[in-house]
Parts: sequence; structure tokens; C-alpha cells
Amino acid sequence: MGGFLYRWRRLLITVLVVMVVTVSLSLTARIRGTVIGLSNIINTVVSPAESSMAFLGRETGIGISTVGDLFTLQQQNRKLKRQLLQYNSMKLELSEVLAENGQLRGLVGLEQKLGTWKLDPASIIARNPDSWFNTAVIDQGANNGLRTGMAVIVPQGVVGRVVAVSPGTATIMLILDPKSGIGAVDVRSQSTGVVLGQDPVTGLLQLQLFSHKPDILPGDVVATSGLSQYYPKGLLIGQVMSVAKNQFGLTETAVIKPAVDFNRLQTVMVVESHPSGTSIPPIFGGGQS
Amino acid sequence: MARFRVGTWIVLYLLALLIQVALLPQIFPNGYVPNVVLSVTVLIALYETPRRGMYAGLIGGLMQDLWAGRLIGLNALTFALLGYAIASLQQRIVHDPIFVPGLLAALSQVVVTPFQWLLLYVFGYHFSWLVFSRPLPVWILFSMLFTPALGGLLGFRTRSGKRTPYRSLSS
Repeated sequence: MGGFLYRWRRLLITVLVVMVVTVSLSLTARIRGTVIGLSNIINTVVSPAESSMAFLGRETGIGISTVGDLFTLQQQNRKLKRQLLQYNSMKLELSEVLAENGQLRGLVGLEQKLGTWKLDPASIIARNPDSWFNTAVIDQGANNGLRTGMAVIVPQGVVGRVVAVSPGTATIMLILDPKSGIGAVDVRSQSTGVVLGQDPVTGLLQLQLFSHKPDILPGDVVATSGLSQYYPKGLLIGQVMSVAKNQFGLTETAVIKPAVDFNRLQTVMVVESHPSGTSIPPIFGGGQS
Repeated sequence: MARFRVGTWIVLYLLALLIQVALLPQIFPNGYVPNVVLSVTVLIALYETPRRGMYAGLIGGLMQDLWAGRLIGLNALTFALLGYAIASLQQRIVHDPIFVPGLLAALSQVVVTPFQWLLLYVFGYHFSWLVFSRPLPVWILFSMLFTPALGGLLGFRTRSGKRTPYRSLSS
């Protein structure tokens, strides 16, 4: 018996390792919360190094883009001079619009609403090492009052939500992630559905509509419906690019282009608290639904 | 003979992961960030026995899985097999400091991407293959250039200096 085990030990070890890995894959595909917690511990330990590396990366990125810009600079300069003349004429128009806008904002009391939202700014210091999972680590954590489930936004719209928190860092799941889901509403027709992360490469989202015959058109604006436990009502998600029937023609699915440019995401705002039942102020992309 | 110890592998993988999560996302667009752990696995396995190549891949992949916090075993299994395959292959091919690491890393990328797509599909992540494979040319190009450069930087040498008198650029 012992001789048999010794003779086939390599094969047995290999089979054992493959079995353990398969069981692990199967388990971790189901119990995501615990696994993210484990990852969060690692991120806490390495967050200083991640911050330094992110800084280095930003500077390198700026350097590379500066060299690239040199080639197009002259051409852009001529174009910009032409545009400057146009903008000067538009400036007068804009000052009138701004004055009018200020009056309207005062009328609906939005300035007051802006003050009641408690937002915590944070910098993204790391992304997920796997390209097909979209999570990011920010430099604010439980010590700054962050908790799991808090929505994360930027002025352009919704970014994601906090899924794990450690004392100094927090992991956020971006809305692009394949496991992300947000209750959403078409601002024009009020058709509701769920926005799902479609794929990380194209950076597009999928809106799965609830209604059998929803009224949704390309160009429509989609915002959070407020039905989700995580996201406040009225956060801008994106714009409808195309609408298609599902495989059996029973429901419709829309492809959404996110309002946020996830390639340039560096600083985000974590919504620590907001007045119940109110939409987010228009400065953060909301106010319509 | 300059085989690295397991501790050195871990330090290398740690640095690779730091570059992958914090530095490269500043340069590459979302979804196109290359896998540095793959390059390190190829480099280590090129100068190791198949068994040690497999262990190196297993360690690197497991570290990436823990860091990612999703499917534990996805990269561990992939890179363990990759480490074994590269280390087995290196015993039968000519050694060269630039072309062999570059070509093997590119080839590895071509093999690893569909393998991982299949694993993800089995475990409930149904990505479209056309979209999933879109960054492949970027990853192949990166691996081809980055792997030999990293090998030169680290001064990698063959397991047997007598059998293959290769000297790295940095030594």
C-alpha cells in the first residue's frame, strides 16, 4: 500500500491540488462577502505601498501623455485660437444664463439640499488585479466613518458602492462589475429596471427592463430609482445607446453608456448620509427623476 | 546557477501585483491592464524544474486570487499549469535572453485568456468571448516587451550555467 502511494505520489498530489482548487472556486463563487473581506485585509496591509505606486503611476501617465501631446500641440493651438473667438461671443450669453440659473436654484431650494448631503472625498489607490472584476480601493475607511453599502459618486454620476471596509481603506464595487446591480429608472418615461455590469472591456452597462412593453429610446437618460437599498434616488447612471428584445422577445434590454469616465477616475465622493426621500442635487448629476 | 528561493518569488509576485493594481491602471484603460504575474511566472518557470515552476505559478496565482477577493483558485490553477508547461518546455528549447521569454510570454497570454474565460464561464461569469478577448493584442504586446525587460533587470540566468552559457544583459 505504502509502495503504491509512494509510486503514484506526484499524480495523487496533483489530483488533490486540482480537487482543492475546484472546491475553492466553487465555494468562493457563492460566498463572495467573506472572500472580499480576506482581500480587504491584504489591501489594508499594502495600502501605503499602493498609494505610493498610484502616485508614481499618475506621474508616469502625465509624463507619457505630455510627450504625446507635443505632436498635436501646434494643430490644437490653431484650432483653439479659432474657438477662442467663438467663446468670447458666447461668454456674454453664458453670463445671462448663469444669472437665470442662480435664480431658479434659489426658487426650488436646491442650494439648501446640497448642504444636507454628507459627502466624504476619497482617492482611488488601487484597482482589482483581475481585469474582469471591477473593484477599487480608496484611501478612506472605517476610521473616517465609512460603512459597507454606502454609495460612491462623482459630479458626473454614480460610481458604485462600498463593499468592504477596513480601518484605513475601503473596497468599492464599480457599477461596471459583473456582479453589480442597481435599481434604475428612465427619466423621460419612468420605465424601471435593473442596471447590470455587462463587461469591463467596453465599459458599457445593461439595463434589464421590468415592463413587457417599456417606453425607452436611444438617448434617454437613466438614473437610480431609489428602490435599491444602497443608492439614493436620482443619481445619474448614463444614457441609453441602443434597445433590443431579449432572446424570447418577452422583455427588452437597453445598452447604457455610463456618465462616469472610469478610465479617469481618481477622486470620488462617498455618500455618508443624505436626507431620506430626496434626490441628489443636480451638481452631482441628479435632480430629474 | 541562480535559482530564486521561495521567499524571493513571493517578493517578486508582491511587487508585480503592486504594479498591476496601482501603477498600470494609471496608464492603461479600464479592462486593458496587463497581467504582470503572468510575466513573472513565465520568467521564473524558464529557469526552474517543472515541479518548482508549478509551485511558483501556484503561489503567484494564489496571491493574485487573494488580492482580487473573488474566485480563489482561478489564477492559482491557471498559473500553476502555466508554470509547469513553461518549465517543461524550456528543457527542450534553446535559451535566449530576449526572444524566448518574449515569445513564450506572448504564447502564454494566448493560451491563458481562453482558459480563464472558460473557467469564469463555468463558475457563473458569462462574458462574451468577443469582448473578453478584445484586450488580447495589448496584453500580447505588453508581455512580449515587458517579460524580457524584466528578466534583464532581475539578471535571470539559466539553471545550469555550463549547459547553456547565457549571460543576462544586466550581469
